[in-house]
Amino acid sequence: MTDLEDIDRRLARLRDATEAVHESPAFSARVLQALAAESAPSFWENAWFSSRRLLPVAAVAAALAVGWAVQVDRSADDELASSYASVGFE
Amino acid sequence: MDTLETAVDRVLRGDSAAFQLIVDATSRKLVRLGARIMGNQADAEDVVQEAYVKAYRALTKGGFDRRASTATWLYRIVVNGAIDAKRSRKRRGEASDLQLESGWDGAALAEARVALTELDDWLSALPAEQRAALVLQSMEGLNNTEIAQVMGVSEGAVEQRLVRARATLRQKRESS
Repeated sequence: MTDLEDIDRRLARLRDATEAVHESPAFSARVLQALAAESAPSFWENAWFSSRRLLPVAAVAAALAVGWAVQVDRSADDELASSYASVGFE
Repeated sequence: MDTLETAVDRVLRGDSAAFQLIVDATSRKLVRLGARIMGNQADAEDVVQEAYVKAYRALTKGGFDRRASTATWLYRIVVNGAIDAKRSRKRRGEASDLQLESGWDGAALAEARVALTELDDWLSALPAEQRAALVLQSMEGLNNTEIAQVMGVSEGAVEQRLVRARATLRQKRESS
């Protein structure tokens, strides 16, 4: 028998002897647990999804804030204008 | 179309629960393949679990192009994971994790465990990719074309790995 035949015979014997190897009973549950962890959204994904729901409210609030800012700016201008108008030169 | 491809179709259409069908249909074969490369069942289960997570990620995020069959693709993920794990263990000088699984009982499984230890000792002189090629050919029954697809190399590279692996085993035998 050549060395190569010897190697192949040993490989064949070990192949047959390891045919019975299989996953442990808890393996499938372990995998599903790992997949559940993989599927769970991360903190940033959660933050993104939560913020998407608040987007219309945030848009309305932003529009109101801009309107208010413009109005305040106009009243300030009017007040300044009247103040300047009241300055008297002697 | 077989169960495996049907399950993949379902996962690709958004039914992620169908991934369990893929696990059920392939885990026995993949754990055995992983054990033959890693040399023990505990390490093999770690490698195969990680492979399933990668496969799930790829399927749900469009990373599987179906150029290879699902079986070949899963084999590839497991073989690559096992090669990486073997290399990193070797680099860190760690021994294999011989922790026994509680589910292992019975004479056939005890014999299989002994055979895995013998296989691990015998093939320990081989680089991880030569060991994987030899296992795929001699134990999983794949031909060189299939091994090349699984390992993502040319058939010539597979042939070279197998020749070198056998030469190393012959030398080991002569020196012992």
